[in-house]
Amino acid sequence: MTDFHPQVKQLLDGELTLADLPAALRPEGVEALRLLAAVDREPVALPSTLDARVLAAVRARAARPSLWRRFLAPREIRVRLRPWTLVPALAAAAALVLFLSSPARTPTASTVTVRFVLFAPDAQQVSLAGTFNQWDPAATPLVRTGSPGVWSATLILPAGQHQYAFVVDGARWVADPGAPAVDDGFGRRNSVLSL
Amino acid sequence: MRTFRAFLLLALVGGGTTLRAQDISTRLAGRVSPEVAALVQRLATSAAARGLPVDPLIQKAIEGGAKGVPADRIAAAVRALAGQLDVAAAALTRAGPTHPDTDAIAAGAFALNAGLNDTNVTTLARVSGPRHTEAATLRVAGTLAAMGVPAAQTVELVTQVIEAGGESADVLALPGQVSEGVSHGRGVTPAQAAAGLARAAAARANAPGQQKPKPPHP
Amino acid sequence: MDRLGARAAAPDGDVVRAVLAGDAERYAELVQRYRDRYARYAARMLGSPDAAEDAVQDAFIRAYDQLAQCRDPDNFAGWFFLILRNRCFAERRRTKREAVADVSQDELPGPGRADRDAERSETQQLLARGVSELTAEQREVFVLKHVEGLSYGEIAERLGTSVPSLKMRMHRAYDRLREQLRDRA
Repeated sequence: MTDFHPQVKQLLDGELTLADLPAALRPEGVEALRLLAAVDREPVALPSTLDARVLAAVRARAARPSLWRRFLAPREIRVRLRPWTLVPALAAAAALVLFLSSPARTPTASTVTVRFVLFAPDAQQVSLAGTFNQWDPAATPLVRTGSPGVWSATLILPAGQHQYAFVVDGARWVADPGAPAVDDGFGRRNSVLSL
Repeated sequence: MRTFRAFLLLALVGGGTTLRAQDISTRLAGRVSPEVAALVQRLATSAAARGLPVDPLIQKAIEGGAKGVPADRIAAAVRALAGQLDVAAAALTRAGPTHPDTDAIAAGAFALNAGLNDTNVTTLARVSGPRHTEAATLRVAGTLAAMGVPAAQTVELVTQVIEAGGESADVLALPGQVSEGVSHGRGVTPAQAAAGLARAAAARANAPGQQKPKPPHP
Repeated sequence: MDRLGARAAAPDGDVVRAVLAGDAERYAELVQRYRDRYARYAARMLGSPDAAEDAVQDAFIRAYDQLAQCRDPDNFAGWFFLILRNRCFAERRRTKREAVADVSQDELPGPGRADRDAERSETQQLLARGVSELTAEQREVFVLKHVEGLSYGEIAERLGTSVPSLKMRMHRAYDRLREQLRDRA
């Protein structure tokens, strides 16, 4: 019979002490405690290079344009919303999402249909401004979709290179961290869209 | 020869200056302050005289106005952009005998803004050759730089793909491929993804019996 | 720009919210804080510090990817632990032959190791091997209680299970360990 006696198990669990055990069980109790004493509790320290690797991955993800895969590889469309939350109290720019739908050429060979999506549950109003609409924040509002907090707009844009940003609540200009970003010359960043 | 060309340009531009000024003021009306509009007009006129594209300057001013940026900041940004256009034009001129087209200059300025330097621009323009427009090459390079690929890797990658016989579609596909490399690799930086693609392109170019590479699988 | 409190003392919830608002660089603070806290757990679960390093790294990256799904940012630690735990369990399912814990590698280098009581280190090795041969669930409860020092109540809360079921697992583990030590002694 190799199983420990139930009371010895209680000993192991720390619910009984050796003195609580009947004399007959004490040797088994001692054996059990020896087993516990042999547990290796040495802390394990991982190398700090791990931090650097994690940060590298984090930075790569922060800079990664989620739209490229879709428009250059028109095999499948996978919606990947990154629900960054707007925190008005912090001055940090909110990060938003651009989702590009089917890149199939529309009847006009030199235009592409583009769907912009933003997850901003706290926003009252969202619009899109860029080189294609003279940066007019009123020209291209996004509308709420069926999913809570999700806004979208679909545009037909001419082929070529465009720069854009989202405008939230009429005042906050934010670029898409998923898209390539360039200095806008005014202290902010614009997102780049190449069609 | 250059003087003659410049003279020709001036002559051409001279004839259209009035129309251009109207265009500019129309486009800027209500979007920027009169002072900024006047500045942009001046800068645009002299830019046009140098063969530089004018549209980016107007766009930048409109952008500043829409973003509610103070007039002096807009002015600074437009001036800076004009400077970038100049640098880009000079870099392109060093690359080849023909006068650079305005699309290429605008793309060059975009690349500079994204972090490439004028030497990179010259290199990329030279490498473009007959099959690739300088504008397209520079736009792709600027996009890669904007994604975080360091300048050296950007130039190397684009160069390798073109020299391996890549088509324009192959060059256009590069940002997407770097993005794939970053998202599928664990902790792979844009630089590393770009370096990997460059090595692959070089290997294809050096492989025996290899004429043109197949379009890369996305 | 105002940061809420000194950065060094910023609670987890604030750091998480800052990262979600776009300040990705601050994720480094969470990595620093928790890199070693669960390293021992991962090492015991997977059998080596190297495997633990991979698992912890993956878990941090996955946690970043899913950060928006962290329901209680103030309890990042608990949420992160579950991500790491899942990663450890997935790793164990993947490896057909379980890595046997090599105690001599786990031990921190330093003087005096060679002077260790020979009998004790042999028992340690036997026990380590025994622990590695437990089922994942048994190993986990044993490690959390006897290596990490948590109470049954704390473990139950972390894993979302009940104390009686934990005890059942643990008691079975005790028996198996005894059996293995006896067989090899």
